[in-house]
Amino acid sequence: MATLADLKISEVKLSEEQTGKWGMVIDQDICTGCQACVAACAMENNLSFVGEVDSGYGRSMHWIRIERFWEGAYPEVKMTPNQPMMCQQCGSAPCEPVCPAYATMHSQAEQLNLQVYNRCVGTRYCANNCPYQVRSFNWRDYERPEPLSNQLNPDVTVRRRGVMEKCTFCIQRIHKAQDKAKSEGREVVDGEFTTACAQACPANAITFGRVDDPESLVSQLAHRGHGVKHLEELGALPSVTYFKGG
Amino acid sequence: MSEQFSRRDFLKLAGVGAATTAILTGCGPASRYVKREPYMQMPEYNYNGQSTYYATTCRECAAGCGLVVRTSQGRAIKTEGNANHPLNLGKTCARGQATLQGLYNPDRVTNPMKRASRGADSTQAMDWEAAIQAVADALKNNKPEEIAFLMGMAPDHLFDLVTDLAKATGMNAPVRFGALGMFDARATLSKAAENLFGQASLPFFDVGGAQVVFSFGANFLETWLSPVSYTRGFAGLREAQTKQRGKFVQFESRMSMTGGKADEWLPLRPGTEALVALAIGRLAAEILGGSMPRVFASVDPKDAATKSGIKLETLEHLAEMFASSNGALAIPGGAALGQSNGLAVAEAVLALNALSGNFGKPGGVYLSALAPNQTEYNRPASAREMQALVQNMFDGKIKVLFVHGVNPLFELPASLEFGGASKYVSQIISFASFPDETAREADFIFPDHHGLESWGYQRVATGSAQPVLSGAQPVVSPYYNTRATADVLIAAAQLAGGSFAAALPFKDEVEFLQSKIASLMSEADGSISGPDIATFMAYFQQHGGYWKLTDGRGAPSAEDMLNRTIAAEEAEFAGEGEFFFVPFVSPTLAEAGANKPWLQELADPTTTVMWNTWVEMNSETAHELGIENDDMVKIVSEAGELEAPVYVYPAIRPDTIAMPFGQGHTAFGRYAEGRGVNPADLLGSHFNEAGDLAFAGMKVKVTKTGEKKLLSRLESVMGVYGIGLGEEK
Amino acid sequence: MIKRIFDWLKQPLGLIAVGIAVLALFSLAAYGIYTTQQPPEQPIQFPHQTHVAFGIQCLYCHPGAAKGPAAGIPSQAKCWGCHNQIAKTQTSLLLAPLKDAVTSGTPIEWVPVAQVPDFVQFNHRAHIAAGKNCEDCHGDMSKVTIAQNPQVFNMGWCLNCHVETAGQDHEKLVKLSDCGTCHY
Repeated sequence: MATLADLKISEVKLSEEQTGKWGMVIDQDICTGCQACVAACAMENNLSFVGEVDSGYGRSMHWIRIERFWEGAYPEVKMTPNQPMMCQQCGSAPCEPVCPAYATMHSQAEQLNLQVYNRCVGTRYCANNCPYQVRSFNWRDYERPEPLSNQLNPDVTVRRRGVMEKCTFCIQRIHKAQDKAKSEGREVVDGEFTTACAQACPANAITFGRVDDPESLVSQLAHRGHGVKHLEELGALPSVTYFKGG
Repeated sequence: MSEQFSRRDFLKLAGVGAATTAILTGCGPASRYVKREPYMQMPEYNYNGQSTYYATTCRECAAGCGLVVRTSQGRAIKTEGNANHPLNLGKTCARGQATLQGLYNPDRVTNPMKRASRGADSTQAMDWEAAIQAVADALKNNKPEEIAFLMGMAPDHLFDLVTDLAKATGMNAPVRFGALGMFDARATLSKAAENLFGQASLPFFDVGGAQVVFSFGANFLETWLSPVSYTRGFAGLREAQTKQRGKFVQFESRMSMTGGKADEWLPLRPGTEALVALAIGRLAAEILGGSMPRVFASVDPKDAATKSGIKLETLEHLAEMFASSNGALAIPGGAALGQSNGLAVAEAVLALNALSGNFGKPGGVYLSALAPNQTEYNRPASAREMQALVQNMFDGKIKVLFVHGVNPLFELPASLEFGGASKYVSQIISFASFPDETAREADFIFPDHHGLESWGYQRVATGSAQPVLSGAQPVVSPYYNTRATADVLIAAAQLAGGSFAAALPFKDEVEFLQSKIASLMSEADGSISGPDIATFMAYFQQHGGYWKLTDGRGAPSAEDMLNRTIAAEEAEFAGEGEFFFVPFVSPTLAEAGANKPWLQELADPTTTVMWNTWVEMNSETAHELGIENDDMVKIVSEAGELEAPVYVYPAIRPDTIAMPFGQGHTAFGRYAEGRGVNPADLLGSHFNEAGDLAFAGMKVKVTKTGEKKLLSRLESVMGVYGIGLGEEK
Repeated sequence: MIKRIFDWLKQPLGLIAVGIAVLALFSLAAYGIYTTQQPPEQPIQFPHQTHVAFGIQCLYCHPGAAKGPAAGIPSQAKCWGCHNQIAKTQTSLLLAPLKDAVTSGTPIEWVPVAQVPDFVQFNHRAHIAAGKNCEDCHGDMSKVTIAQNPQVFNMGWCLNCHVETAGQDHEKLVKLSDCGTCHY
């Protein structure tokens, strides 16, 4: 019988060999920066709001944010294409090896970067080592006055003070779809479910799906040619492909 | 520490105390076990832990997008777009997503109540019998012409109900108003359509099918008319798979979120939009050849270039782009129309479309499809019509004012003096779900359900090719002791008797709804049909509404449009000062989002500011005036003054400042109250020809106060390394 | 003042007093821990064994277990469906709370016994589908009145079974030992 110890040894692979499983393609040319994805993510994943002062300190709990930069000077000033930035679910994630508590684990089954809240002791090493700066830390038990807690999603853990958190690619939706497919004796179909951000996006700028399935929409898009991965040179093997647009 | 009691002793004692506390309180059974209440009667289709989904309509703005709300154990958990709804095809905006924070907002009005005196905090809870009696008395004891209804912008079933009531009894017809309609300049669009096409309508611009889009101030990706639908259109414009990637040019004095997506952003001088549109038309007509259309003949491109600050070469290049494309579309909207010459701007821009010949064609201009149970376009009130209402209030012609779905004390510019006029109204009854500014000045608050707890329907005014009547149903049972305003009015009308009772012979709101949609039951081309009203109503709720399967958009007649003359004068600006003042609706908060904490915490798409109001000022100008980020400035207009911190913005004209509308509440719950300022306080009461407020037609003075207010923003982290929010440097 | 108290505590009588105090504290702590291990007070002393003895299947009252994450507590209408027809219901003292709840339309506040912490996302369906029987985790209900946990639901116990179930199937082992399978 296999044991957990066997598993660890057999699973050690060179990161370059890993294909990844779930991925995203984001078309920056049609992203309007409207924040629908940010709001959708907050509603789906029980994100706390932190208030004006804490958000000023950069402590807001956005699992996804939309970056925009300026190019040129007035009157030839341009806003660069909006860049939705969330956890890139790296194949070789810089956040993982630095966690002393094994709270930032790589999911072998789903090929995602996990944040295991009950293991997290709040060292914040992972956030400091994340090149994309997409992790947020619960600096306090943020207040959620009643009856606001009625809208909490029962499928997602409510985090408390001292715990790191980040985008999960809506792993609760992945599990739900897998569970449903399994109960019906079939495989999960491409497009059967999607993440909260992709579902809300009015411009359809976000596509989510299996990148290891060449037939899936997200694979088709990712191989269209002009996609880029952010900070690819770091070798973190991010799972999100961006179209710069223009 | 004192001599007798050493630090060491203290630590020992403290340690024992802490351990005892932990043992006695921390691990008790109470912390391990919870209580769980079973269903009394579980629906057959359900079981514990299973989510149920209900289709309804989003009420966060008047667009009328379809929602599907996930509920679990009787609680609403998440809103998603209704994938079958023709308007939004399964998508939502940020405000639609955050609608649950309104439903479960900690500051809702929980009971019907009477206010001790207007503006007072102390209220007295009432029961609904007394509340209905109060409404009935108000209806019965006043002459019908002394009763007025002020409602939100949405053309919904409640508006129909009040309209029916008014028609039957001689009451004033209900007035629909909203700040979004004012900033959209809907009256101007409608008037321009009437002047040019001979039919008042809300034009629909098919952005998705176009090759080149010129937008004159229209913030169609933010809050304008139907943002989700227009965003889908924009994605279609850019989609490069099936056709060439469409070009987008924006003319505006301050870069909006929409302008940020433009290939070319042209900061023209405010007030010169009509000139620029006609000049481009003239230059394009020259390129196209043939005789010069009369509408463009009188404009001098060189003059237009000088006045607008856009180079002549640029105008020529834009004209070339417009003329050479076989799908050019021009959109007038937003601040460009909210000026003294707004109607001329709208007409000039529509004339560009006439030149392009795109009326009623894909990628062109249509007349919006009328909803299935609608015969003519019924636009919300313009600011001038609101002024007329305010005047009637001042004159004592209105004794009872019912307010539902709108917050005029916040949304109307203070200079229109709604607050002053309300003192001459003997009774104000508010149906607000939230304790907003107007509810605070009301004698009674009879809270309506939240939109997710209500029945109803809403006509989709624009944005969909198909005629749509969007359906609403309660997705959860009411959380508080609230009651549907339609039910209150029906019950009160019965009590009042006479023509009131005759006008609303219904048992309840649902019966009224059924009477209104019954005619659609067996119509051809409908998305649903039913053998009887109960079945049809069930389908109506299940699918989230009723829509035609055919294209209901009208093609405007372009005849004579090019032979008109349009006065291409520059706009006039009220007040004195060195800066043009551009107020714009916050893309994330809009007019009523400030009480939802997560909308407050969304970063503004252009500045990334959260939780507050800012003033956008050009970097060069700020440098000259010695103003840095977060410096407070005092802005003085002819109508008022206020103070707000500066956000140094690289994409705004040096002679212009801009402010977002959405904050500055003095009531409206803990997340909105006392936060930021309301730029509507600066607006004077000047109107354009169509009656819309010339909200972008002001000049203001700006002075540095020497104070600082650090803005919380996503793009930079202050605080961590020294400077804290709210502290001095 | 404080110094005088400390001096007094240092003499024999004082030491005995301190000893008693410490002892009392420990007993209190022990009692506290003991209480956490006790099944909680239920609104009705629900006899599981009687129901099982009548041949009622677990899934009759807890159908959610086969379909989704939560097994669920049966609705009061379901209880009443049978109990309404049982004469004893009207007179039994034990059943009085049920009668009251149904007639007055108020929910009974049950205290769930088998619980996992908030940060564990447990799904009954997958376990039933994998061939687990209810009693494998919840014990033999034909022997107990109020449900009791035959074992502490902790992660080691979960994982032991997961690894055992996976056996030689490597793919299954990866899935069943993945943190993200239960924690998100």
